[in-house]
Amino acid sequence: MPENDGYTILDRPWGLRMIGVTQMAFGIFGLLATIGLLFATLTGAFATVGYLYSLVLFGGVAVPCLFIGNYVDDLRRWAVIAQIIYSAIAVGLSGYLLYVNGLSYNWTIPLFDFSIELAIGNVAAFIAITQTLIMFYLLIRWQAVAPAPGTIVERDKSRARLIEAGLMPSPLEPALLAPDGTTTLTPDEEQKIMDIRKVITEEGMAILCSNCNGATSLTKVEDNNTVPCDYCGVILGVGSVFVPCLNHEEYLAATTCNVCGEHFCRQCLTVQEPPVDEKWQGSAVYLCKKCFEGRYRPAVTTASLVIPIDQLFSIAGGRFSKVGQMYSSFLSAYANGMKHLWRIPLQLLKSVGKSGGGGNDNAAGVLVMIVIIIIAIPILAGILMILGAIIIIPILFYAGLIAVTVEAAKIISGTDFESVDNARVKSIHAHRKPKVKESKLRPSVRVWDDEFRQASLEHQRIKLRHDEERRQREERRRKQQQAASFWRTEND
Amino acid sequence: MTETVQERILCPVCGGPIKIDQQDKVNRCEYCASPVLGPSQSRNCVTHPDILAKEVCHVCGDLVCEDCIQKRVGEYGGKLLTIVNCDKPTCIAESDWAKPLNEEYQKLANMDWADRIDNLILRITGLGAIIMMVFELIFFIGVMFYQFLTPWSIPDISIGALGPLIMIPVAILLLNILGNLMSAILLQSALQVYVHERQMGAGITLLVILIIEVAHLLFRGLFFGLLTFPNPIFLPLMLGAFLFGTILVFVGSLMAIYIGNKKRVQLKETQEKLHLSIKP
Repeated sequence: MPENDGYTILDRPWGLRMIGVTQMAFGIFGLLATIGLLFATLTGAFATVGYLYSLVLFGGVAVPCLFIGNYVDDLRRWAVIAQIIYSAIAVGLSGYLLYVNGLSYNWTIPLFDFSIELAIGNVAAFIAITQTLIMFYLLIRWQAVAPAPGTIVERDKSRARLIEAGLMPSPLEPALLAPDGTTTLTPDEEQKIMDIRKVITEEGMAILCSNCNGATSLTKVEDNNTVPCDYCGVILGVGSVFVPCLNHEEYLAATTCNVCGEHFCRQCLTVQEPPVDEKWQGSAVYLCKKCFEGRYRPAVTTASLVIPIDQLFSIAGGRFSKVGQMYSSFLSAYANGMKHLWRIPLQLLKSVGKSGGGGNDNAAGVLVMIVIIIIAIPILAGILMILGAIIIIPILFYAGLIAVTVEAAKIISGTDFESVDNARVKSIHAHRKPKVKESKLRPSVRVWDDEFRQASLEHQRIKLRHDEERRQREERRRKQQQAASFWRTEND
Repeated sequence: MTETVQERILCPVCGGPIKIDQQDKVNRCEYCASPVLGPSQSRNCVTHPDILAKEVCHVCGDLVCEDCIQKRVGEYGGKLLTIVNCDKPTCIAESDWAKPLNEEYQKLANMDWADRIDNLILRITGLGAIIMMVFELIFFIGVMFYQFLTPWSIPDISIGALGPLIMIPVAILLLNILGNLMSAILLQSALQVYVHERQMGAGITLLVILIIEVAHLLFRGLFFGLLTFPNPIFLPLMLGAFLFGTILVFVGSLMAIYIGNKKRVQLKETQEKLHLSIKP
């Protein structure tokens, strides 16, 4: 999958996730109701028509809700369409029920030796409202929730995270190349080479293979300045200058660190996304460990240029602001939740007062309901508030502090430097492209944005085309002038 | 060389394909643009054919020795990267947008000598600060646990109409959150000792915060009446950890101040020697 062109499950809007969960909840309730109804019918507490009802409930609510709910939040176009159709049907049916029987329509459902009064009218209203909201949300956010046909969506969360985090720039697939330099080897052949390859030679300076990391002696360099790898057989070009690595005299330097300009082998260089600049030609930028850690400062003749390390610890520091943002979102969500929580008892109280047709006159039941509404819900709200204040906020605070501590431990352990050499071996073993590692001590190199690159390439193409058209126009005009002057001369 | 063979050549750096366009000049990897020798290219300097080349001109692709190169620092999308050009007038003109590297300054201001000691300082102060941070986190939980889930309690506190029922949790929360925040600031400062320019300042900041942190802990200990603490292991263990962290941060901050000052003097002398009025 082209990582930069596809969607990942992490692109899923929050609302879509909520729709999935809501539908699944409807499905579970439908399933439980089906089982209950079936059981009641089997035990004779319900008429034979109960079988039909349970079948309708199972086929019309449980199965579609569980099925669609399971897929709709996976960024699947067909599931979104199915959800919209299902919601429309549900709104239509519940609306019809409300139209025919009204909001106060109740059912008496037998339960063992008791019976429950179920406000079907209210349930229908709830379904109608919920499904209408779901339908509108999906239609309004169509672009975000329904990927265009043919779009590839990475749904594996771990792989999606890898894609979101970015991969080390490399032209190689995470598999060993065959000697032809294009096809890949089978896992067995690959393992054989990885087992026998050596990273040192006994014949002086060596060149490290970019395919298998094996060391081949420089004595084997051919007249055309290429060298076949002793282990995997690919033909390697030879780096432009014969300079040993600054840290390993036994290896020919592969290239220079793009920051300090010193020569290093593949074991001493890491790779990052290139800077966003049209002047930069390559798709990668190489850094030695020192520059990766932001400790090199180029001395130039003017004071205007310094290594941009001002935001050195922004990553760790950013955790505080992140926690701050979490507090803020939590508090606003909490306040909203509380608002609704207080509204529910009042509305319920109002609806109890209205109950009539089809309901019973059990005054004690109504009193119990009032007590529950007036006492239980506020107590629940209070408990939630206390939990929020005492537990959730300190937990968030603690999470922030622990994150800072972990970040600091990572910085002092200094293990983030991943050489291109190590990254290659890891990718071959794991058959997965390695994740990009940005220095904690150096501001991250901005990711080369594909859109920017495409836009700049498009801009260049347009400019070239315009230049070419202008040149052709001028050429035509010149020829026309020549022709005109020729004919004039002829006529004259 | 046939086209089929040429396509098989891999870049020795990234493994990308190398298309051989030039026989006697460097060719660049199609992926990472690293230079690779042409099939019939000499490895020596183009101007001094008896000297092995050390660099590649980024403009013309010629191999050049140390006598023929100019190093420059160019800005690419906000990042400063080093580029090399040869001494041909056209190549110099093409590279004019980048600033020439002041090699004499570079040599005099080189701080490679401090790499090992800086690593050590970072780890000492970092480890100390992490220990103190963890200490604060555990101390907070510990006090909460003993206050609310055991018969032990800190002394009663009342302010006006606010009795112990409210004031005890408030005091525990506020004082410990303050301790946590101070240890977080300590941690942030501890990591900055690795930056040449900030080393001395970070060392001084560490010392000041350390003194405040120790005083704050002593105050909390007395205020909470920890001398009457029931658990014989918790308090000595916590104090031992705090002491260890304090010693590490203290030693690390002194080292940072000493090394940071040496660097400051080195830069000052370099500027005086080169008659530079502006700090590069």
